[in-house]
Amino acid sequence: MRKILLLSLFLLSALLNEAMAQNRTITGRVTDATNNEGLPGVTVLIKGTQIGTATDAIGNYSISVPAEANTLVFSFIGYTTTERAIGNSSTINVTIGADAQQLSEVVVTGYGTQLRSEFTGSVSSVAGESIQNRPVQSFDQALTGRAAGVNIVQPNGLLNNPPVIRIRGVNSISLSSFPLVVVDGIPISTEQDVSVNTAAVNNPLGDINPADIETIDILKDAASTSIYGSRAANGVLVITTKRGKAGRTKVTYDGWAGVNKAVRLPELLDAQQYIDHKNRALANALALNPNAVNASQRDAQGRGFFPNYNADGSMVNTNWYDEVYRTAFSHNHSLTMSGGTEKTTFYFSGGYSDQEGFLVNNSFERRSGRFNIAHDVTNWLKLSANLNYNNTINNTPPSGSNPGSAFTSGGLGRLAIAQAPNLAPYTADGEINVQPGTPYIGRGNNLVPITWYNPVAVRDLDRNRAENNRLISNLVAQVKLLEGLNFKSAYSWDRGNSENVTFWNPISGDGWGFNGFADNNTFRRNNWNWINTLQYQKTLLEKHNFNLLVGTDVQKTRLEYWGAQRQNLTDPFFTNFQGSFGINLAGDNGIGQRAYESYLGSVSYNFDGKYFISGNFRRDGNSALSPENRWGSFGGTSVGWTVTEENFFKTSSLSNLLSTLRFKASWGRVGNGNLPSDYGSYTTFEADIYGEEAGLGFNQAGNRDLRWETSTQTNVGFDLGFLANRITLEANYYHNNIDNLILYAPQAPSKGIPNNRILTNVGSMYNKGFEFAINATPFNNDGFSWSTNLNFTTNKNEVTALTNDGSPIIGTTGSLENTSITAVGYPVGSIYAVKTAGVNPQNGRRIFINAKGEQVQYLHQGGTQAWTYLDGTVAPRVSGADAQIVGNALPKWYGGFNNNLRYNNFDLNFLFTFSGGNYIYNGTQAGLRDQRHWNNSVEVLDAWSESGEEAEIPRPVYGDNVSNGSAFANDSNVQKGDFLRLQTATLGYTLPTTLFGKTGINSLRIYTQVNNGFIITKYTGVDPEISTNGNENTTPGVERNSIPQGRAITFGLSLGF
Amino acid sequence: MKLLNLKAYKISLVKLSLLTLPLSIISSCSEDFLEAVPETTVSEATAFDTPERILSQVNGLYSTLKSNYVDPDGNILGFLSGRYQIFSDIRAEEFKNQTTNVVTGYDVYQHTNGGDNTYLTNMWTAGYLAINRANTFLAGLEANSDKVSAEIAAQYRGEAKFVRALAYFSLVQFFAKPYTMDNGASPGLPLRLQPESTSANNDLPRSTVAEVYTQIIKDLDEAEAELAADNGSELYNIIRAHKNAAIALKTRVYLAKGDYTKVSTEGNKIVSTTAPFTSPINVTHALEPNIRAVFTAPFTSSESIFSLAVAETNTAGTQNQIGSYYNYAGGAFEYSINAAAPGIYANPQWRAVDKRKTDLTATNPGGDVYLTKYSGQTPFTDYVPIIRYAEVLLNLAEAEARVGSQTRARALLEAVHHRSDPDYSFGTLNQSELISAILTERRIELLGEGFRSNDILRLNQPIQSIGAGTSINPTDPRYTFPIPVDEVNNNPGIQ
Repeated sequence: MRKILLLSLFLLSALLNEAMAQNRTITGRVTDATNNEGLPGVTVLIKGTQIGTATDAIGNYSISVPAEANTLVFSFIGYTTTERAIGNSSTINVTIGADAQQLSEVVVTGYGTQLRSEFTGSVSSVAGESIQNRPVQSFDQALTGRAAGVNIVQPNGLLNNPPVIRIRGVNSISLSSFPLVVVDGIPISTEQDVSVNTAAVNNPLGDINPADIETIDILKDAASTSIYGSRAANGVLVITTKRGKAGRTKVTYDGWAGVNKAVRLPELLDAQQYIDHKNRALANALALNPNAVNASQRDAQGRGFFPNYNADGSMVNTNWYDEVYRTAFSHNHSLTMSGGTEKTTFYFSGGYSDQEGFLVNNSFERRSGRFNIAHDVTNWLKLSANLNYNNTINNTPPSGSNPGSAFTSGGLGRLAIAQAPNLAPYTADGEINVQPGTPYIGRGNNLVPITWYNPVAVRDLDRNRAENNRLISNLVAQVKLLEGLNFKSAYSWDRGNSENVTFWNPISGDGWGFNGFADNNTFRRNNWNWINTLQYQKTLLEKHNFNLLVGTDVQKTRLEYWGAQRQNLTDPFFTNFQGSFGINLAGDNGIGQRAYESYLGSVSYNFDGKYFISGNFRRDGNSALSPENRWGSFGGTSVGWTVTEENFFKTSSLSNLLSTLRFKASWGRVGNGNLPSDYGSYTTFEADIYGEEAGLGFNQAGNRDLRWETSTQTNVGFDLGFLANRITLEANYYHNNIDNLILYAPQAPSKGIPNNRILTNVGSMYNKGFEFAINATPFNNDGFSWSTNLNFTTNKNEVTALTNDGSPIIGTTGSLENTSITAVGYPVGSIYAVKTAGVNPQNGRRIFINAKGEQVQYLHQGGTQAWTYLDGTVAPRVSGADAQIVGNALPKWYGGFNNNLRYNNFDLNFLFTFSGGNYIYNGTQAGLRDQRHWNNSVEVLDAWSESGEEAEIPRPVYGDNVSNGSAFANDSNVQKGDFLRLQTATLGYTLPTTLFGKTGINSLRIYTQVNNGFIITKYTGVDPEISTNGNENTTPGVERNSIPQGRAITFGLSLGF
Repeated sequence: MKLLNLKAYKISLVKLSLLTLPLSIISSCSEDFLEAVPETTVSEATAFDTPERILSQVNGLYSTLKSNYVDPDGNILGFLSGRYQIFSDIRAEEFKNQTTNVVTGYDVYQHTNGGDNTYLTNMWTAGYLAINRANTFLAGLEANSDKVSAEIAAQYRGEAKFVRALAYFSLVQFFAKPYTMDNGASPGLPLRLQPESTSANNDLPRSTVAEVYTQIIKDLDEAEAELAADNGSELYNIIRAHKNAAIALKTRVYLAKGDYTKVSTEGNKIVSTTAPFTSPINVTHALEPNIRAVFTAPFTSSESIFSLAVAETNTAGTQNQIGSYYNYAGGAFEYSINAAAPGIYANPQWRAVDKRKTDLTATNPGGDVYLTKYSGQTPFTDYVPIIRYAEVLLNLAEAEARVGSQTRARALLEAVHHRSDPDYSFGTLNQSELISAILTERRIELLGEGFRSNDILRLNQPIQSIGAGTSINPTDPRYTFPIPVDEVNNNPGIQ
């Protein structure tokens, strides 16, 4: 509402400025929004004329303006074209390129570029500056909320965790839904298959320094993506790295440093509360079953939990958060030099990032270098080369926060909340407190064994490290064959080596059972790509504009990995793989190869910038499909009509208000060949060993009919621009029908098919929704400017068919808990849990609703009365087999609201993100209310205690892992996920240029930034955007034992010479 | 006049020649550019190509029974490596849970598990994987019968049928009502005897328990005929099936079926008429004088009729191996022995001087009694005992006590008991006391070997569950394990 008011105010003020001016000279300065530096060479035109000038070396201009002129147009390659009403001003200072969300001139479409005004597909563009200088490890983590249709979720606060990116919904079930990422033309490897150890996540996109990115164009509909054919079903992120510009060599330094801290941690019982609560639960249990705990685990009064004391006599009261989390310090630096001559331009950058996680001993370090050069060899031959080398090192103790590890006993996220608070991390002698003969913490005076590892042992003695060395390089030759006819050949090489190191200590933790465990492996990925295109651009009779492109694209990726596992340390002195162990086993070993061969063509035509039509075609071959079915044809077409270019419109009075009106529509069919296996069509036998004997067994049922999964995508929309595009609205409706879904089709386990699944083309689903993006610059005066972007997307996902008999696919969290289901008629990965009907006020028992819809209450240790109907008669046991669909896990709407304000030398940016309409399974809460020896959240203090009490938590009975949800998921832990978050806010100040004198310094800006400033949500878990199962399509919206998110505050400076 | 104005065309020629370079390389992209074949697995086309590979597949069947099979999430599916035996034993009165960990059976212990239990599902999956691998092997062997001699082929067929029978028998004990309850009229298991490698045939109803038993006995009868009398080495006579292994397993199957006459028939093939009891035919089996030796490396005692081999390279994963569950020192100590009645430990038939108490149990500093039958030391390479001669003697003893010679029954019982406690006197025993003593002896002798729940069920007794705090009667739905939800969801015929 407030926004609308402001817009109306702006409209009013714009109308007031409609006074005629006299013939006169106007001067001013054009500055770059990123650093307030003067921009040389900016074209300044009087709108509707050819009268113009250009800015000088420091960005100043002077132009003589005729009386009837009312608008100046400022344009510069790579920057937003800005128009300014002249009004009565004699000085007009302009800052350009300020907002990433404003429509930039050019869309990078992968194999070429197109003017945005002529592009009829659907694309969102994000400028590099809006994602750089953020305390993140990879650029994709900073894209949240920036672009319509793009939903990005950071799974948790573990450093370098790849985000979950969904463009216009979840577009597959068994295949990856991660978009294709193209960097300077080459599709780079994004799969996390380079990291198999369970603790150190390895995000391949962390190998790109965000500071090197010029723009990210996100291609969303088939008309834009079909040129990528089978690679494009999840959308395409086209990343263009920075280039030099002819002229003075510019040197910039960017640096930031900051702190990061875990937020929204649940409040836990302290030692006294823990002892009291557990003993109370124990008494309740023993009253029901005298054998509920062993006699050795309780005293004569039935108590099992007792205080422990420090040397000074004080009671041990350990806040395990203090042992596991910290205030982390990070700093990041990048230095770039760019420039060139008319013939040669270069860009060089070096970066260093040293980040600590708020999880103790979690760290990320990146050293990066990039060199981009372009050279015009002759007037018909242009060569360019990009060379990017990175080294990243990611260290972490076991966190239980990467996909599949939610229930790892050694996960620190879980240990921090579950470990008993009345136990000390260290003994009086300063040794790590361990119960002799066990991997667990010393139980002290407790009689009940506490079967959690000592977190400080896991934190300090267990290590996981992933180190990547990666070279991404390409060489491009462009040959101008004839005027308008260009040939381009680009060869790219993406070579990555990863080394993963795991060591688990023999004292307390997962390594205890092995008496020390080490697992090292190395991965080598070789990925090359060669693209040849021939492009012909021609304008006939001035108004017929043609653009034709044909090309070939071949790519081969080979992955080889090998490693070893070592167990049984000969001496606890050794703390690494290289030490001495009694047992040496093969580790992760394998070879995979994937090849693509493609032929592509594209044609676009427009008449006079008014009518547009274009088409793409691609024929793809993919080695991962069966030989008989590996070729597929894909394509798309789009049309557009720019009404505002029509003469009838230009002459209408509406043209003063409405500057752009364009309708567009597209349709196309793309494929998805992101198969999870390189060899899914083969039936194979795998070797194993039986005792000392060689063994062999059927291990994969292949499918010789494996063929393409296809997405049929429709997009219709319009672009509106008001008042010289100071306000623009882009609206789209999209519909994506996915057929021949490649599913790991579940098989009846009794068939004995290995893994109970076969990759099969069965099933269909759709995604549909609306996307809106509003950009506006309500104020843009000399002293004050404000530009804003609001994007909003809706999505409806529904599975319309699965296997022939419609068997649903159950999604499992951490290989243990069934939390999700993909079933016909529902969105992918809906929350699947047993329904409940609160707590019976009469007796404090949880009431479950069984599969028949009957209310059944549970009494732990209740013997024959464990399961009863509310009238007390015995009922059949309720279990996870009674689970039902309780809610969709995919957000129905999401978006971002971004604002840039500038007041003199101060700038302020803030980005809100929001999402909702989804449900989250808060499995962590089940653990926090578990009535075993685990610590609980303070909520259990309000558990049911007397007849008639309305309580949320049932009467505590020691050992009860059913009532609150550990034994199977129930809907008392399912909550709505709506939220509004201040994603980031930055306050900057640019020092006046006059301060620098002749130091050579051109600009200096200092800023402070907060990330994850606050969140407004009714969700009670650590974060509504959590994704314990990472990128898994079939188990979204689950929180289970992951570490939380952090809040980061940074200070930075940008210095330009 | 020149035919070509070279100068004018020179640049174009240079450009064109540049063009031909990529074009020629692309056209040389041979047809097999898109050919990527697995390099670390053997294709189905060649899996039966050599006698060595066929033998490897036989070994693979045994490791599947053990289940070293890793699912896509990286979990080892536990079956007869230990988890099956443990789940059978912890349901009743013999053990007490120490760690309240669902991964190690806490909900099975408490009888709160449903058809969604991950580990029971894994067990079902692993059992059927063994069955399908056996079916696949039998069909592949048939199609490649020229690759090995007829004699070897017969032996391998026998081994595959033995594996299939053992898998079906193990599953039908857990997931169906006992045969003895209604003569096998209850729904049993989907009976799959054809190799499966495609998406077809998900739909298959359960055969009756009786039909499953019929198939098991058919397989074992055929296996007895086809298997080698002797596998040629002490080791192979334990880790691979031979005729006596099939016969011994039949005594177990008939006992579960309540067909005591048949137990005697089969048992008498491999148990001499009088003590000292040994097998008169095929491989010689006898009780090991010192029971500790049966469970100590190299695990090649003549008492072991069939065990699953384990080595460092093929342990079953920490939480699936029998060695880690019970031991306090070095083991994970998931379950202690219930030292109080009705646990067997407190039974007067099991005296403190009994070697099975002194050598196979111990007491920890906290006063908990624990089982030391299996090594508690990483890497847990104990062979997993599946059939040993002591069991055969007790199977036969029970059959003799019920339908044959009580004198011989008592002699068999005493052979087992007196090995570990030679001075114990059973006194006079009438028939029901004798049967009771034999059943008690099974609990002592076979503790921790996976017999408890299956014995309770075949006798239609209530399960005196420590974990559930109650007796679970045969009419209680908790009495047997539910069919896994995964099967129900994907096999429309299962209901």
